[in-house]
Amino acid sequence: MNPQPQKAIVQVTRKFSASAERVFDAWLDPSTVGRWLFATPTGKMVKVKIDARVGGSYLIVEQRDGIDVEHIGEYQEMDRPHRLVFTLNVPRYSEENTKVTVEIRALDSGCELTLTHEGVLPDYVASTTSGWNSILNQLAATL
Amino acid sequence: MRRATSLSQSTWIALADPTRRSILERLSRGEARVTEIARPYSMSLNAVSKHIRVLERARLIRRRRAGREHFLSFNPDPLTSAAAWIEAQRSLWMSRLDALDALLQSEDAAAAKTSKRKDKSR
Repeated sequence: MNPQPQKAIVQVTRKFSASAERVFDAWLDPSTVGRWLFATPTGKMVKVKIDARVGGSYLIVEQRDGIDVEHIGEYQEMDRPHRLVFTLNVPRYSEENTKVTVEIRALDSGCELTLTHEGVLPDYVASTTSGWNSILNQLAATL
Repeated sequence: MRRATSLSQSTWIALADPTRRSILERLSRGEARVTEIARPYSMSLNAVSKHIRVLERARLIRRRRAGREHFLSFNPDPLTSAAAWIEAQRSLWMSRLDALDALLQSEDAAAAKTSKRKDKSR
């Protein structure tokens, strides 16, 4: 039995004291991107190539435990400093092409960023049968 | 709302209806026939079947056929494993955004130092 890939949406919101423009540019400026986006504390950033235009692609490679982990994708929408949409694929972990939408809203001071990552649940997501009831009840309370 | 948006879309849609939640509650007590599920509801068997299909698509219900009978059972996996995985993804993105914020703040601090030095040299 091989069920259809299950879609998953991950969303986070965070405030920044920096301006919307600076936060937006940090996603596309190669010298900045390599220092945070797919950087891990023990990894070593080995390549950041960014073609910052709609239809342009990017390649961000970080070495983790001696293995090059590639992050590749294409920019689909670009509206500085409000909105950036790009695809994201990490071939090392999954064949799935996912989509990331970054929305930035200017505040009186700084800005608020909402990131939506639309992807697919990986097959390795382990199944477990406990705790569903409390989740169901929590949902009922929020609906 | 946080909890709600961290479930997958199909799970979320399936659960966003009180009839479907009550069907799941019934099934969580044990396997049942479609007709048994439909009995307590005032709607048609057809309408109940539609709800059941939505739950099946979200993999929250399993169907077992025995001759002409269809038995349904509850599958909690999408609720627990999906929610856990999505929580992990959320915290991954949050730590990336934390890193971005820290980077921008360190740039600000460095810029402030430089301009102070410039002021002194003037």
